[in-house]
Amino acid sequence: MFEQILDAALFDSATRAMIPILLAALGGMICERAGVFQIALEGIMLAGAFAAVAGSYLAISWTLGVVFGIAAGMLISLALAYGTVTRRGDPIVLGIALNLLAMGLTGFLLPQLFDVRGVFQHPRIDGLDRIAIPVLSDIPWIGPVLFDNTILTYVALLLVPALWVFLFRTPVGLRLRGVGERPLAAETLGVSPTVYKYGAVLASGALAGLAGAQLSLGNVVQFAENMSSGRGWVAVVAVMLGRAHPVGVLAAAALFALAEALGFRFQGNGLPVQITDALPFVVTLLALIIARKRFARLLDLTTAG
Amino acid sequence: MLERVLNEVGDMSRRAVRSPVTFSLLFAFALAAAIVAVTGGDPLAAGGEMFTGAVTGSGLRNTLGRSVPIIGMALAVSIAFRSGIINLGGEGQMVIGGLAGTIVAIYVPGPGYVIVPLAMLAGAVVGAVWGLLPAYGQTWLRLPILITSLLLNYVARAITGYLVRFQLLDDAVTLTSTRQVPETARMPKMPIFGGVSLSLILVIVLVALLWMVYARSVAGYESQMTGFNMRSARYGGIDVEQRTVQVMVVAGAIGGLIGTHLIIGEALRFIDGELVLAGFAWTGLLVSLLAVNRPIPIFITGMFFSALQIGGLAMQRNAGVSWRLSQVLQAVVIVAVACRLAIRRGERPSTEVSDAESAAVGEV
Repeated sequence: MFEQILDAALFDSATRAMIPILLAALGGMICERAGVFQIALEGIMLAGAFAAVAGSYLAISWTLGVVFGIAAGMLISLALAYGTVTRRGDPIVLGIALNLLAMGLTGFLLPQLFDVRGVFQHPRIDGLDRIAIPVLSDIPWIGPVLFDNTILTYVALLLVPALWVFLFRTPVGLRLRGVGERPLAAETLGVSPTVYKYGAVLASGALAGLAGAQLSLGNVVQFAENMSSGRGWVAVVAVMLGRAHPVGVLAAAALFALAEALGFRFQGNGLPVQITDALPFVVTLLALIIARKRFARLLDLTTAG
Repeated sequence: MLERVLNEVGDMSRRAVRSPVTFSLLFAFALAAAIVAVTGGDPLAAGGEMFTGAVTGSGLRNTLGRSVPIIGMALAVSIAFRSGIINLGGEGQMVIGGLAGTIVAIYVPGPGYVIVPLAMLAGAVVGAVWGLLPAYGQTWLRLPILITSLLLNYVARAITGYLVRFQLLDDAVTLTSTRQVPETARMPKMPIFGGVSLSLILVIVLVALLWMVYARSVAGYESQMTGFNMRSARYGGIDVEQRTVQVMVVAGAIGGLIGTHLIIGEALRFIDGELVLAGFAWTGLLVSLLAVNRPIPIFITGMFFSALQIGGLAMQRNAGVSWRLSQVLQAVVIVAVACRLAIRRGERPSTEVSDAESAAVGEV
């Protein structure tokens, strides 16, 4: 009996850990399909987390918080789209610089707007409530783990089949993949790569922004400096590990989230936090080694000079 | 004669004005001023405090002091970028090397002239080993250094955090910190501008050394060719794998040196998480990008970014505007330059632009 509760608790915390990674990785997946190299997810997630808390604080409403999170994510991704697509700048340079910009900007605005250092907590910040879905949430074991969660959790889980349909069963999805795989052919057929690439990057910004909102309004109700703490980079790996396929990305995100949740549990069992914090990154590195063939494209991209 | 000189000066200033770097700097400052104004500050007062804070009083000494880690980490990343290797692991290499150097400085007894170099050596060696991991990951297992080196930063944080908390903790203070570095094992200060760390000389030597390596040596030429085009470098008989490993060893070693300097020359205690906080590895990366990975421009740009940060701290004290604005400024400059000129990691600036520029100059 006791073990059962602990297991349910483990999967519950794994679900919480998974949603931000999944949302960001789905965004990265759309970019990957459109042939845009997206490594600004970490910074976009951080900016989204900050904007979500700021919006929620201003309006005392999580709705505006989520809207702010999406808007902040799209604003940063707009800079990425302009730089890489319109100006043909280096996507790696731009990605790194935008990550640092988000880090600097949130670190600057936190004391400037809210007069606090490090962590911003306030009763005005309206967090995302857990919404239990009738009937489904009563299913033993699975119910409380999956069907008693924040609205963004359901959005993220529904996006997996939705994006599968979009990518593989709609004309727009087909053109998007065409732009990524055969840009010249797509252009010959009258499909504008610019439009599709902008769309993909902006969508990834919105999704990574949502990931930030889930982080700062769902998992906790506060903003802490650098609170994305590497999750955006884990999402970059999840895109490749899942071969830019919605189901694969979901599986990869679940794997990393399980590692994070296990870390939490070991922490409860007395293992030092310094070690358990590293667990998701060690698992990510191991996944890289095991599935290393899937990262060939990234290697080509980064060693082409 | 006079006319020619005037023409020269005119050309130079025209080129400087048209340069994307100038445009990007102006753009970044304008954006920063707007951000300060929107968030309720006085941009002019903030800018004034930033300038006077960076160069007057103790500002000059602090600017020189802070330039050591910024220029050092920029040199480390530039070596990798120039060879087309995206090493984002500077932070981890710096932190883990820094702790190794600190351990030597605290626990090995002996006179300063032995312990200080020994601690620096230990930092360099451990930093180099940490750089080797992603290098072999790429050459043996074909794992992109970009992602492995970055993930290893978090692992390095965890390892050093664990060691400081459970093995090296100083019970006498409330911080999660090692003991203080004994007086004999500290990096000496030079009696200029009121005390600048001797490490500044080390950085200047590194700049000169790297300049010579790239200008004169086979190793420098080959690693640069690798950066231009890895495939043709390999075709031309360069052992790309071996160069990758060598570059990562040197980059990691410099990171470890800088990490050690930051403890035995500045902080004197290894406080958990403190080395990461200032973000020197990342500032260094931006400096290297802006300086197109060249040693001497890195020195100048690094000094400038250091002045920006020291000025930013003064601005925080006197104008109540967070110093983090300097980080925003730095990142915006790079975003703007990347958009204007399409700077690339291992390459020189696009020849198209310089051709167009020389054509424009020719017309005049």
